[in-house]
Amino acid sequence: MLSDFGTLLLFILAAFAFIALVLFGARFLRPDRPNIEKNSTYESGEEPVGNANIQFNIRFYVVALVFVLFDVELVFLFPWATVFGQARLIEATGGRWGWFALTEVILFVVVLALGLAYVWAKGYLDWVKPQPKLPTVETKVPMDLYKQVNERFK
Amino acid sequence: MFPIVLLSVFAVVLLFLGFLKSRSVLLPATLLFLVAALVANFLDWNKTYLYFNSMLRTDNLSMVFTAIVLLSSFLVVALSGSFEDDEAAQPAEYYAIILFSLVGAIMMIGYENLVMLFVGVEILSVAMYILTGSDKRNLRSNEAALKYFLMGAFATGIMLFGMALLYGASGSFTLAGIASYASHAQQGLSLIFYVGLLMLLVGLLFKVSAAPFHFWTPDVYDGAPTIFTAYMSTVVKTAGFAALLHLLAASFTYVYSFWGIILAVVTAITLIAGNVTAVYQNSFKRMMAYSSISHAGYLLIGLAALSAQSRQAIVFYSLAYSIATISAFGVLMLVTRQRGMQTLSSNPLSNESFDAFNGLAKQNPLLGLAMATSMLSLAGIPLTAGFWGKFYMFSTAVERGQIWLLVVAVLMSAVGIYYYFRVIIAMYFRDGATEPIRISPVFRYVLVAAIILTIGLGVAPGLLQGLF
Amino acid sequence: MQIGLLCALIPLLPLLGFVINGVGFRRVPTGLVGGIATLAVLASFLIVVSLFMSFPAEGGPQIVPLFDWISVGDLHIPFSFQIDQLSLLMLLVVTGVGTLIHLYSIGYMHHDEGFGKFMAFLNLFIFFMLLLVMGANYVIMFIGWEGVGLCSYLLIGFWNKNVSYNNAARKAFVMNRIGDLGFLLGIFTIINTFGTVEYVDVFKQATSLPMGDTTVLVIALLLFVGAMGKSAQVPLYTWLPDAMAGPTPVSALIHAATMVTAGIYMVVRSNVLYTLAPQALEVVGIIAIITALLAASIGLLQNDIKKVLAYSTVSQLGYMFLGLSATAYTAGMFHVITHAFFKALLFLGAGSVIHAMSNEQDIRKMGGLRKALPVTFITFAIGTWAISGLPPFAGFFSKDEILAHVFEHSKVLWALGVLGSGLTSFYMFRLLFLTFFGEFRGTAEQKHHLHESPATMTIPLIILAILSAVGGALNLPGGGWLSHFLEPIFEGSRQVNPEAFAESTIEHSTEYVLMAVSAGVALLALIAAYVMYISRKAVPASDEADRSMPEQVIYNKYYVDELYEAAIVRPIRSMGDTFYSFGEFAVDGLVNGVAWLVKQSSAQLRRLQSGSIGFYVFAMVLSIVLIFALRFFIRF
Repeated sequence: MLSDFGTLLLFILAAFAFIALVLFGARFLRPDRPNIEKNSTYESGEEPVGNANIQFNIRFYVVALVFVLFDVELVFLFPWATVFGQARLIEATGGRWGWFALTEVILFVVVLALGLAYVWAKGYLDWVKPQPKLPTVETKVPMDLYKQVNERFK
Repeated sequence: MFPIVLLSVFAVVLLFLGFLKSRSVLLPATLLFLVAALVANFLDWNKTYLYFNSMLRTDNLSMVFTAIVLLSSFLVVALSGSFEDDEAAQPAEYYAIILFSLVGAIMMIGYENLVMLFVGVEILSVAMYILTGSDKRNLRSNEAALKYFLMGAFATGIMLFGMALLYGASGSFTLAGIASYASHAQQGLSLIFYVGLLMLLVGLLFKVSAAPFHFWTPDVYDGAPTIFTAYMSTVVKTAGFAALLHLLAASFTYVYSFWGIILAVVTAITLIAGNVTAVYQNSFKRMMAYSSISHAGYLLIGLAALSAQSRQAIVFYSLAYSIATISAFGVLMLVTRQRGMQTLSSNPLSNESFDAFNGLAKQNPLLGLAMATSMLSLAGIPLTAGFWGKFYMFSTAVERGQIWLLVVAVLMSAVGIYYYFRVIIAMYFRDGATEPIRISPVFRYVLVAAIILTIGLGVAPGLLQGLF
Repeated sequence: MQIGLLCALIPLLPLLGFVINGVGFRRVPTGLVGGIATLAVLASFLIVVSLFMSFPAEGGPQIVPLFDWISVGDLHIPFSFQIDQLSLLMLLVVTGVGTLIHLYSIGYMHHDEGFGKFMAFLNLFIFFMLLLVMGANYVIMFIGWEGVGLCSYLLIGFWNKNVSYNNAARKAFVMNRIGDLGFLLGIFTIINTFGTVEYVDVFKQATSLPMGDTTVLVIALLLFVGAMGKSAQVPLYTWLPDAMAGPTPVSALIHAATMVTAGIYMVVRSNVLYTLAPQALEVVGIIAIITALLAASIGLLQNDIKKVLAYSTVSQLGYMFLGLSATAYTAGMFHVITHAFFKALLFLGAGSVIHAMSNEQDIRKMGGLRKALPVTFITFAIGTWAISGLPPFAGFFSKDEILAHVFEHSKVLWALGVLGSGLTSFYMFRLLFLTFFGEFRGTAEQKHHLHESPATMTIPLIILAILSAVGGALNLPGGGWLSHFLEPIFEGSRQVNPEAFAESTIEHSTEYVLMAVSAGVALLALIAAYVMYISRKAVPASDEADRSMPEQVIYNKYYVDELYEAAIVRPIRSMGDTFYSFGEFAVDGLVNGVAWLVKQSSAQLRRLQSGSIGFYVFAMVLSIVLIFALRFFIRF
């Protein structure tokens, strides 16, 4: 029989195995065309090196907000599990205690899920790419000329 | 208790109703929800319950306050006219936020534990920050929201610090625990306790816009869309005073000698700052902001005196004040909407000025009457509810023997008459644009109801007193 | 609950009528207006009758609480009605006579363009009158009191295009306010003394007070000042004759049958207080007899049919108060009831005459109308017979009972009372003879138009005539039904002053002699009038004719109006002018100065609102620091 720490060890092993499995599986499925951008450190599309005091896209905050929400939700689930998961109470009530606790937490998660669904349906999670509109100017001067001027006084 | 559950569910439902093509279902649905909450509120009538390990409490007083808050929001929502003329508006979200904020307000009314008070205040405040800034393309609205948020966060910090200190001193978050600690006042309490109490008071006084913590009020009320100003100046104020009343009456009566004088001074400053500054305003909306500060002052009289009559006085005053304020803002919305379009003035302030009311009563007798009634009630002229509200307030001060405060209050109500009557004079004795304004039936019902309530309570104030 | 609902319905029905006719004025079809108004009052009347039938004979007062109205500190004023013998009687009179007059108004006012408004006001009047009568405390009575005053004002000035009518309305309003001030002060004194305004509680507390208590005297006198205004006693009577500017049904309903008796109702209601204050009763008696004689003498020479009736009303009100002053409360109420019958009848009859004469009110231009208006003539004659105190009609019994009690009290007052009764008889028969007998003295056109009034007008006349004829049966001499019925009301008075309510000490023979004397005097006056106006065919001289000095004085109503004008109105006006010019300088300067100060400080305070968040937060922190300093560093 495993000790308590043995169970923990199993968890850790399973976690590693999962990661290995996923990465390995992905390797087989995905196309492999690396470039500089892809190989740089992932920072949600921002430049990893340079001044940190720059304007971030406002959408990050929405995503971060939703993310924090579910993080906090997870934090709440731990005390829930320890406070309500009492075998003695479950036995004493013929299992009803367990069902009650489960219903409660499902309600809790459903409320948050509804929020996520709302945000999703409203399209707040969609990342709208900026589509800069270049002004078109009616002029007889050819574009090359401008370019040359720009080059010279760079 | 029931309203909290119901409103939470309703608010989520309302959010998803927003996906429907037609916006027209939202307004009636919200009104229906509010009525359902109001009915559910009274299910526990004449019973006292503690919920969630003594976190929340319902008794007749809390139910009456809840009813006032629900009634006010019912009137405000009815006046909102489902934002028909504004394409960019998100009525479903506004209504949902209003319902959520009501949950916070009801928590502030029925809390029995400082943590619940904090949660309630935050739910209400965050909702208010959003509503203040809901007119996204209006710079003034944005500015107001940011100011409100910054200062509100500052006050919340102070309040939270106060709670922490109180916990440190008394070892309890519950009102009963703090009260039992305070009952040993004779033997001397720790300094931390007093500091904590003061900070908690400052935080709450900020929320009800008492001077000298009132600076946010005019800017925020002025910048927010009028409909939400009406909501803020009634529901938030009522909930704030219910919270203060409950806090002081339940936990701190033993140390009255400590905070009584502070509140009395704050009351006097609030009355003077609110009333005197209001005199100089040219914008009606800004005048109403200062007037709401001054009414916070009148309500504070009952708290500073904290006598047996205070509960009744505060309940009556909040109801009278809420009804009058909502109908005044309702008329203002109609007038600005109509006249604003005609004048095409570049200055957004100009159509909220007193001049916008010139000659209103001739072509729109109902609007004139509604505005005149609410102005008279706010000024405290007899035969309106406001008169009895002031009367009860003043009698609490007499009971406590705070004559100097009473003198200030009476002088300031005289000043108040000046600026309230400016509107009446503009409406009845000046000539101005005299096209009749189209009034939708809902508006008409709300205004008539407000007039009837104001005058009814003014003629028979005993009607409400039998309630609790 | 049943009785509570019924009681609430009694005043609510007329109010409903008022709302329908008032809001729907010009929209409700004219045919319906009268029906709605009359039915509302009739329904109230039927409810009252059912209440009356089911009321236990010896029962105490039933209080019907409707809702808590005002509570301030220890003072609680509920909105409640009190149903007892007194209020039931008044209710019967108000709704009963009211119904008849509403019916009459349909015929009388039908062609007026303000018909709907008129009926609405009448209903509103009934509503307030019912509040006045039914209220279980002085404050509700005061609301009714003010309300009927308002309706009276509105109805006197009903034809508001005429300036002198408006002046009359204003005069009535102002005079009544003077009385109301007394009433209001009385209520305040009651609150101060007893801590309540509920009749039941006040009287219960009052019975334990000693006779001649000064506070009670003050209260009784203050309340009587109120009664003087409303019931037109000297010196506040001059508004009532002027009030005849209103449409005739109004004069009948408000200024004869109901509203003006409110003062008597109030005194009877407060009988305990008055019994406790004999000095107050003496004052009442003196004012009453002065009023009775003064008004009767003025009535002798009036030529306007309604003015004569108006002065006779003032005089009869004097008689009622005279009865009250001799603690003959029952007799006073009895006269209120019979007077309501015959005075309403007389006014309505006068209205019928005016209607027939195309709005002519001067009796010098009438005469010989009995052939053209037979119904009106017969009923009017019955009314005249009744008011003159001639047997066997109602006025005889009620006036006689008053005089009998007064005789017991004071022989002088009795003799003066009999004199007044003779005067009444004379001028009433003068009126009758000049109007209905002799030759027609009007224009040919008026003669051509003469016609009997429609049924809606004659039916009330007939009913009222019957009531005036048999009304005396309510309280026959020697312990009638009324005195037995009203006994519980005076229980408190009996307790505090048993002697005043002891069995009459007069022998029966004396009583018959007294009756014979007063009836005889009235008969003599009748004969005198007959000789003058029928045998000699005298017609009063026109306004410009020369008159002897005393005649001149009486004809001009003792110059009381002129006296008031010179002694009160002008000084007040000049005082007002003085104060006004004083105010120009001092008061205005003060007020403007304060206003300026407030504005300046406002302008300065406004600068604090800079709009900068940094400053706001700084101010907040500074204030917090100050508060901490106040609390922790400076101890006080």
